[in-house]
Amino acid sequence: MTPTKTSAADDLGRKDPAPREARAPKAAPAAALARRRGRRETLAGYLFLTPWCVGILLLTLGPMLVSLYLAFTDYNLFDSPTWVGLKNFREMFQDDRWWTSVDVTLKYVLIGTPLKLLVALGVALLLVKPRKGQGFYRSAFYAPSLIGASVSIGIVWRSVFQDDAIVDKSMSLFGWDVGGWIGDPDWMLPTLVTLTVWQFGAPMVIFLAGLKQVPRELYEAAEMDGAGRWRRFRSITLPMISPVLFFNLLLELIHSFQVFTSAVVIGGTGGSGAGGPADSLLVYTWYLYEQGFRNLRMGYASAMAWMLMLGIGLVTVVLFKTQRGWVHYEEDAR
Amino acid sequence: MSARWVRRSGRLRAAAVGLLALGLLASGCGGGSGGSGDGTVTIRYSWWGAKDRAEMIQKTVELFEKKYPNIKVKTDFAEYADFWSKFNTQAAGGNPPDVFQNSVAFLRKYGEKNILLDLNQQVKAGNLSMKDFRAGLEKAGEVDGKLYGVPVGANTFALFYDPTEFKKAGVTPKDGWTWDEFFSAAQKVSKNGDGLYGAGDNAGVMYLYDLYLRQEGKAFFTEDKKLGFTEDDLKKWWGDWYGRNKDGVLVPAKKAEQVKPKATISADLAAAEFTWDNFLVRFAAETKTDLDLGPIPTLDGKKTGQYLSSLMLSGSARTQHPKEVAKFIDFMTHDPEVGKIMGYNRGVLPTNAQYEAFKPTGVNAKIAKYEESVTDKLEPITPHPAGADVAEAAFLRIYGQVAQGKTSVDDAVDQFFSEAKTALGS
Repeated sequence: MTPTKTSAADDLGRKDPAPREARAPKAAPAAALARRRGRRETLAGYLFLTPWCVGILLLTLGPMLVSLYLAFTDYNLFDSPTWVGLKNFREMFQDDRWWTSVDVTLKYVLIGTPLKLLVALGVALLLVKPRKGQGFYRSAFYAPSLIGASVSIGIVWRSVFQDDAIVDKSMSLFGWDVGGWIGDPDWMLPTLVTLTVWQFGAPMVIFLAGLKQVPRELYEAAEMDGAGRWRRFRSITLPMISPVLFFNLLLELIHSFQVFTSAVVIGGTGGSGAGGPADSLLVYTWYLYEQGFRNLRMGYASAMAWMLMLGIGLVTVVLFKTQRGWVHYEEDAR
Repeated sequence: MSARWVRRSGRLRAAAVGLLALGLLASGCGGGSGGSGDGTVTIRYSWWGAKDRAEMIQKTVELFEKKYPNIKVKTDFAEYADFWSKFNTQAAGGNPPDVFQNSVAFLRKYGEKNILLDLNQQVKAGNLSMKDFRAGLEKAGEVDGKLYGVPVGANTFALFYDPTEFKKAGVTPKDGWTWDEFFSAAQKVSKNGDGLYGAGDNAGVMYLYDLYLRQEGKAFFTEDKKLGFTEDDLKKWWGDWYGRNKDGVLVPAKKAEQVKPKATISADLAAAEFTWDNFLVRFAAETKTDLDLGPIPTLDGKKTGQYLSSLMLSGSARTQHPKEVAKFIDFMTHDPEVGKIMGYNRGVLPTNAQYEAFKPTGVNAKIAKYEESVTDKLEPITPHPAGADVAEAAFLRIYGQVAQGKTSVDDAVDQFFSEAKTALGS
């Protein structure tokens, strides 16, 4: 068993492909055998991969291509689609509710994401120094990330922000009397933003990992040179964790463009089929869903999905382009 | 060598097991309703409603399974709007429930798309009886000679009110009263204080506006699948209600929003509300306040515009088990025990067998009495065109923006007409 195991590793060519070729001319039959076996190994490898391959082909790539085709058609789910060219895309720009959904989503992304990262970084800075009960605090702050996107938390949020519920009462204590947030179109988006900010745990953990990587010598040297707390943060911490910041920013942006469940639950949209009171929580994905599955306009919905994809793609490209300016990788530091 | 062989075949075997697992997974996805070896058949049954209905339906399903041990029924339910998005998705995927709750408004829409099972064949085969139905209900599910649905109850739109509060305000809703009288009653109730409003703001409820239009000799939808009213008509209707909302007579939009999915009357926010009469059963589960059903206000002192609608059971054209579906519908519409369990939750019971088996008490008796009292006012129902449900949702949502003070009545009316045109045109 043992010798075959080592030779198998060689045959896969991962460890060191050179010896195999060197051996080849000397013992041709052995090499042929090895090659044949190599092919078998490859076959087995692909067999093992099939579930995943079939999954990505049938469940991801296939539907994506179909939706690309549908984006250029009128399709009501039941009759066969008819080609309409760019009509769906043209219509989008004239559709007031589409613009509302873009507006709501952009506000959510542009306010929610920076706030969330700010809180995540702040708490990570507090938790990075070793202290008693640190493990508990880390888990406690992380917990909301695990449950925050669930329907039940959406329902809790809805009741917490009602008239005379805990938020209303505590705000009144400070003389800020707006009543419950739920049901008031101007306060629906802030309610949703607080929910996403509350789930700062996941980026926080990533920040923590990044902060631990910063070499202590840098701080010691800076302290010697008389750098203050803020200066050390600005000139050492921020640049050193900028790759982590970049990663978090990218992840959270992409993620929050796709907000759906919490918006639907907090907006109470389930029953009435609208995007919250006066469309105040008409997030992009909900409008897409409404057009596709309620109004049976799957062609339009597909076109919307591709616009969202383009939008997210654009944001990603822009982020990567600006990366040079503010993200410092270890190579640069050396 | 042999060791290698053993090892290799072991690896291939592992791969084969992987493939097998994949195959199982795939078949698991595909098989929804199928028969198993012992002749047992499973049918899927979905419907919309709330918890009270869920408990009742579960009991009736258990009865059915006891009588037909070879048929298993898998149920699921959602609120009205969610039910239909789920249904659309399943139907488009070729996997709709075998039997499901339906209403007159959707017969044409899904009938045209060949989603609904024509039950006539099952009637001929003797699996489903269309006899013994009350007041011509056996015709309610017929569209162009095809039987697309069987009524499980008959309901009509009604005024709900809190008699104690109305008495305190010195008003009794009576036959032939006018909209002005209704609103002034609501005003009196809301002036009495203690945070109760005169009525819920129902200006966005398509079915209510439909009644008002019928009183004017029009209707929400015309026979040729268009809107049966003008922009000015709607401006007057919405403007009128919104004015009263601002005056504090009707429940403000924000408060109504917070109590969802309850209605404002079952959340004890309003003393009056317009909706389907069978909702009395649901409301009784949601509020302790004793509610009554009252006459719809009129324009001329006579015409209310009311008609009999009904919730139905329909089969899916794709079902593998049309016979079992027919037997299920037959059982649910004729079995006296089912009638006793369901009461008037989905409207007054459809067949004489069930109607006589169930002795209405409490809220059920009120519904029975109400439907009796409006019998001579009922008009024929206007069929809804395809897209009517989208127009209905838009009507509710767009008035919601008015009620929130986010859109002017004029802009809202323009928006509704443009959205309705898209919905009805496609």
